[in-house]
Amino acid sequence: MMTAAVESESQVVKRGRRNWGEPAMRIAATGSAIVILLMLAALVVVLFVAAVPSIKHFGPGFLMTSTWRPNPLPVLKLDAHGRSIRDRRTGMKVVDHNEPPRFGALASLCGTAQTSMIALLLAVPLSLGAAFYLVRIAPHWLIMPVSFLIEFLAAIPSIAYGLWGMFVLGPWMGGPSRWERIFGILPVPAGIESRFAWLFLQIPGLHWLAQQRIGTRVVPIPTTGRDVLVAGIILGIMIIPIITAISRDVLRNVPRAQIEGTIALGATWWQSCRETLKYSRSALFGAIILGMARAAGETMAVLMVMGSAAVVATSPFMAGTTMASQLAGEFPEASTNDLHRGALMELALILLVMSLAFNVVARYLVVGKSARTSAAH
Amino acid sequence: MTNLNIARAKATSRIMYSVCIACAFLIVATLVLITGYLLVIGLHSLNWRFFVNLPQSDQPGMRNSIEGTIILVALASLAGIPIGMLAGVYLSEYEANSILAGPVRFVSDVLAGVPSIVVGILGYELIVVPAGTYSGWAGAAALAFIMIPIVARTTEEMLRLVPASYREASIALGATKARTILRVVIPSATGSLVTGAMLAVARVAGETAPLLFTAVGSPYLVHNPSRPFPSLTLRIYELSNEPSPEARSQAWSGILVLIALIFVVNLSVRYFTRQRK
Repeated sequence: MMTAAVESESQVVKRGRRNWGEPAMRIAATGSAIVILLMLAALVVVLFVAAVPSIKHFGPGFLMTSTWRPNPLPVLKLDAHGRSIRDRRTGMKVVDHNEPPRFGALASLCGTAQTSMIALLLAVPLSLGAAFYLVRIAPHWLIMPVSFLIEFLAAIPSIAYGLWGMFVLGPWMGGPSRWERIFGILPVPAGIESRFAWLFLQIPGLHWLAQQRIGTRVVPIPTTGRDVLVAGIILGIMIIPIITAISRDVLRNVPRAQIEGTIALGATWWQSCRETLKYSRSALFGAIILGMARAAGETMAVLMVMGSAAVVATSPFMAGTTMASQLAGEFPEASTNDLHRGALMELALILLVMSLAFNVVARYLVVGKSARTSAAH
Repeated sequence: MTNLNIARAKATSRIMYSVCIACAFLIVATLVLITGYLLVIGLHSLNWRFFVNLPQSDQPGMRNSIEGTIILVALASLAGIPIGMLAGVYLSEYEANSILAGPVRFVSDVLAGVPSIVVGILGYELIVVPAGTYSGWAGAAALAFIMIPIVARTTEEMLRLVPASYREASIALGATKARTILRVVIPSATGSLVTGAMLAVARVAGETAPLLFTAVGSPYLVHNPSRPFPSLTLRIYELSNEPSPEARSQAWSGILVLIALIFVVNLSVRYFTRQRK
């Protein structure tokens, strides 16, 4: 109906005065829409082309190797007894050959997975609890300010969380166990990590969580406050506002009849909440995935608190790296070395594909469910 | 037996009720603690010199970085807001007779979730490498890249809230489609469109990662975007790596200025949207 009206109307105008605004507007709008499609295409194509040297050189083994060595590794020449040979004249050890640089994504993939998991373990229960509070408990006058606070915190830039993690949370978690005073008055325990490390050493099966192997010796890990655990906690704090805000909206969209039904059947408050959880589980799952996608793609905060070590961390107290933070940390040094740059580009490509996948799944879950919910009204 | 079960269910319910309250309290407390700390420490070393002095001065300030961020965000908005809004107009107003709308909507949703560091690398490859130098243009382009999908989706959502009867009335009065959009649809949604745009501005103003390899930062007062360009977030990151306590307190002040900026935008957006309703 409407389009027919528009066409006949524009025909009328065409007969009269000139009308260039109509096609111009349409072209501008369509062009802008196409720009969005081109943006994604550009991302995929450019990253893929830049990653080609690394993809060709390492193949699928890139995903399975944890070695990340941008420089050639000199291997010493050994005599029959396995001792290094020294040059007679200079007294220097003789180099046999150089191992070529080698790159693998395993360390940063593991780091990304570990930090995201810690973040989710921290954020999901707290966020769901807070969402239930906002939807089912909070007095009316409190909903607005709490919601505003949570939404505002989602808008705080990641570098602020990074700085806070670097100068406040990290030092507080790390170091020897001691007592500190908040704002000079309230005493709080500090050096949390060393307390946990001590606990792990007491429990028979958990030794390895607080120890690392250096050469042949097994030594306790120093708790520095720049490690996987602190990065995970910072990421958790960062994604709490996102998961809380989305799951609050999801829970609020549960039809009233659903809740009243459970209560009419004699459910307690928590049983009724569990039913709403079941009812909106896929949308809540989508909210969690969105939070995870944010945690996995976070760059600055992780770069500032995780210690930037390209190793697979076997303990929460070890320094590590994630794909995004490794990219940010090493890219400036890599621009002269094609293979190094290619490897970083492949990391970026993996990161892109991963975040696309997360977002597609989350979008399907959240949007699909809310469409179904609104249809049920 | 059943009595026991009921008693247990009631007890569980009571416990979970308190747990939910505790969760909300814990979150609010953590977040208040963090912002409170940023506020107290940031204010401590904030004075007027911070806004007017350059980093080289005896009492270093961040004038160049603050101006740099404002210029970068302004340039990004000049490109990002019109393109994003037009794409939103396309999705909301021209969508009916097109097979493009579904993919565009989907792609802009997905793009909004792309890690910003990846966008920075795209800017490096597409602009910095061909130009041979880091530049403010590259930084602004990366920020615009992040803005476009956000603005497009919010614009579409806001325009969809405009009642169809407005459009029908306009067309019935003999207006063309373009005229209907420009004179009826957009004006009746101005408040919320401005909100959406401002939120996108606030979002990119705090971005660091996309600027790392594009604008790259500069200790000087630069107004020419074809040179390496200073930014508040980059400067804060730089300072965080310096050992001196002065650098650290400057970084805190920088964060405070940044957050204050974002807070004002958020608050004004809330205020204006409430007025509209």
